[in-house]
Amino acid sequence: MASLKKMWRNNWVGYLFLAPWLIGFFFLGIIPIGSSLYLSFTSYDMFTPAEWTGLTNYAEIFADKKWWNSVKVTLVYVFIGAPLQLTFALAVAVLLNRGIKGLRVYRAIYYVPSLFGGSVAVAILWRQIFGGDGLINQFLSVFGIKGTNWISSPDTAIFTLIILTVWQFGAPMVIFLAGLKQVPNDLYEAATIDGAGKIKQFFKITLPLISPIIFFNLVMQIINAFQAFTPAYIVSGGSGGPLDSTLFYTLYLYQKGFTQFQMGYASALAWILLIAIAFVTALIFLSSKKWVYYQE
Amino acid sequence: MKMKALLFGLFLLTLAFGLTACSGGSENTSSDTKDEKGSNSSEKVEIRFSWWGDTGRNEVYNAIIDKFEEKHPNITVKREFGGWGDYWDKLATQIAGGNAPDVVSMHQSYVSDYARRGALLQLDDAVKNGEIDLSDFPESAVDAGKVDDKIVMIAKGITMPGWAYNTALFDELGVEYPEMDWTWDDFAAKLAELDAAIDSDDQFASPDNGGGQLEPSFRHYLRQLGKDTFTEDGKLGFEKEDLVSWWTMWDDFRKKGYIPDAETGAEYANVPLEQNMFVTGKVALTQIPANQLSLYQEQFDSGELRMVRMPVMPDGENSEYIGAAFLSITEKSKHPKEAAMFIDYFVNAKEAWELFKVNQGPPASTDGSEFVKQFLEPADQRAVSFIQETLPYAHPAPVPPQGVGEIEQAFADNYDAIAFGQVSVEEAAEAFMETAKSIVE
Repeated sequence: MASLKKMWRNNWVGYLFLAPWLIGFFFLGIIPIGSSLYLSFTSYDMFTPAEWTGLTNYAEIFADKKWWNSVKVTLVYVFIGAPLQLTFALAVAVLLNRGIKGLRVYRAIYYVPSLFGGSVAVAILWRQIFGGDGLINQFLSVFGIKGTNWISSPDTAIFTLIILTVWQFGAPMVIFLAGLKQVPNDLYEAATIDGAGKIKQFFKITLPLISPIIFFNLVMQIINAFQAFTPAYIVSGGSGGPLDSTLFYTLYLYQKGFTQFQMGYASALAWILLIAIAFVTALIFLSSKKWVYYQE
Repeated sequence: MKMKALLFGLFLLTLAFGLTACSGGSENTSSDTKDEKGSNSSEKVEIRFSWWGDTGRNEVYNAIIDKFEEKHPNITVKREFGGWGDYWDKLATQIAGGNAPDVVSMHQSYVSDYARRGALLQLDDAVKNGEIDLSDFPESAVDAGKVDDKIVMIAKGITMPGWAYNTALFDELGVEYPEMDWTWDDFAAKLAELDAAIDSDDQFASPDNGGGQLEPSFRHYLRQLGKDTFTEDGKLGFEKEDLVSWWTMWDDFRKKGYIPDAETGAEYANVPLEQNMFVTGKVALTQIPANQLSLYQEQFDSGELRMVRMPVMPDGENSEYIGAAFLSITEKSKHPKEAAMFIDYFVNAKEAWELFKVNQGPPASTDGSEFVKQFLEPADQRAVSFIQETLPYAHPAPVPPQGVGEIEQAFADNYDAIAFGQVSVEEAAEAFMETAKSIVE
């Protein structure tokens, strides 16, 4: 104990400087996370004290058809949306990296959609584009095709949201650009002398050398996609409709917690999501040994 | 190695941003007033009041509060407001966190969730000793604010649902106006007539009211059958057959093209009033609460909006019940006395009536609803007449049980599945009954 006291006396200034972070870490991090773990084993409606129910919530979740549907919707969104977005971001980054004039301006312009994120303006824009008499259908009608209502048809609604994430490719693009700049020019020169074409150079030099960046972006975007909430909330008005076709996992969690007052159930949902994300991330990390190349 | 270090740094940075982004803003509006007992007229007291609504309503309510503060210089009223959806999210969180406003706006469809969990103050004593004077309220209006026989909310405005139409559009189509009293058969015949007169693919006779919410359409239908959505003790008040016949009727309307297809319906499901199907001329009839009649009228350049009753059954019972917006005091309020004074002022003071007019329906007080008539636009006058005409048909309606939110969801989901052609009416009704029973029993 004495040594603890001594340590405190020596280091209290340090802790004082750390205080803003520590306070945030405990009050916005550890304590809420701990409470949600506890609540996930209870029945809690926010008004009356929580009641311990053991694993009931978890058992109910796995029998909940709506939950399975939300898992399916989220997986489609994650495993189609994230890779598409990265491909697009990389393609734009490669184009921008060819030494064009006004790079900064383009970089800023392409980044702009990422800032709109979940704004209401995006919801309105998306309706104008994908609605029954929106831009796309007006364009199609020129060729005599009558398009469906993309946003409110259960078969296509999720894809309008995937296009929305792909459109917001700014953040990974900027990181890709930084990575591309680090690839040494002499490698390309050597390859050109040896007679390798542009495409071959891209697959044999560029891709391997930026694979750590791809890895980083992949992990971050997959985690983001799992937690996606605002696109569906904004575009479907919080309902996850039509027919639950855009009912993301987090949106269902929100409905359970805040419109049906089942905070215990919602907490259990959150923990299952956390474990699922950790599992998928771990898989990507394990696979990275096979395809990520560090210049060591 | 350099790359690895760079990446690690990036990871940390992104995680840090993620954390701050999640933690969001939690503005603390807890009332830190010094006095705990209140009441002494020289002591400063602060109460908080929250409501839902649009900017127009915010102006009206702010003006009423200003008047109240003028009259009671020792009381300050802090104002909080938001749209309908956000309002309920916020209220739930505030009540759970113990920092709810003193006076909150309440609604029948949510009240049991709050009252039966003990979040609202019982107001019987305050009413009995005259702190909140309801002597001029019709009994049905007082009763509408009761849960389990205790008063927990006070009606600020009374309204009645009905079907609205625009005379200009009907004239243009050459279709006769609907009658004030009409049956479901008349309703179907009117839809057919409108459908024949409309020669456009994306214009319809009526919106699809088969699903969405239990109230008011389906509930009125049940009450005409002598049933209700829920019984007094919170059980389901109807059978699968009732639901099947209701949904079959609407499914039939859709197949005949009287009402929009599911995709079109979904597209307009969550749009604000100015963009909805009726205002944009995509449907000729629409079901609205009477107090919104003037909001709709404002959106039209030509024609007069008029209202008729909900369709009835020839030998059925009257289905009307009082719909209203209410005020409640939260259980944890530190100044229940001042909160009661505020409610009393809101529902009884002439200055308040003059500003309120019929913002959420005419005042519940009989004098009040007469008094406001002189200030009204023609559309509002028609709304008040409509409410006064239908009010005598009203008979008590039990408040829905806890968990009604989940039942509403199942109702909307299963109906949508029919509309999108994924299941039969029979299957959807079966699925709904199963879910609903598991929640209330």
